[in-house]
Amino acid sequence: MKVFVYALSTCPWCRKTKKFLQENHIPFDFVDYDLQNEAEQDKIIREMTKFGGGSAFPLVVIGEEAVIGYNPQKIGQILGLKAAKA
Amino acid sequence: MNRESRKKALRHLYQRVVEPLGYKFTPDEEIADFLLEQEVNLEQKHGIPFCPCQGLTKDRDQNMKIVCPCIPFHRKHFDAMKRCWCGLFVHKDVMNPDELQQITLSEIKNG
Repeated sequence: MKVFVYALSTCPWCRKTKKFLQENHIPFDFVDYDLQNEAEQDKIIREMTKFGGGSAFPLVVIGEEAVIGYNPQKIGQILGLKAAKA
Repeated sequence: MNRESRKKALRHLYQRVVEPLGYKFTPDEEIADFLLEQEVNLEQKHGIPFCPCQGLTKDRDQNMKIVCPCIPFHRKHFDAMKRCWCGLFVHKDVMNPDELQQITLSEIKNG
């Protein structure tokens, strides 16, 4: 299942989310919103809105599902991780 | 003013704002220090200490609602989580911030 993380470089919960995925050996792509140019940021906000988010980070897209905020339990559940390291 | 002095100044200022709202700094010092550090960076970049966990957009009115401490603009949402979105502040009665989760307003509304 494809995993994508919308993040901010300044957000500790975004860092924790990435760390959680790494520690559970889940391959993922990510974008740090605040490090993008204005046009790219507009595009990102549009995408996040589509997934029910606003401008709150992190937002993790797993296949067709989205998890807003740092929620390792929910991410683990969607990915079917048995004993997810949080 | 150096970074550490600015962090200290923000702490002092925020304390006075959030206490009457029923909030306090998170007891997780590592997170608090990291977030304050990021706010000092954001203040240096934008002139305002915005929330480090919410994105700035072209909408100035919306951006003003994420100036730390942004509790008054998101009162219902944050009261339900017992923390602000970034977790710099928690309800006064919270002893273990690890038990709290980031929940969206729509998730709260839908129970």
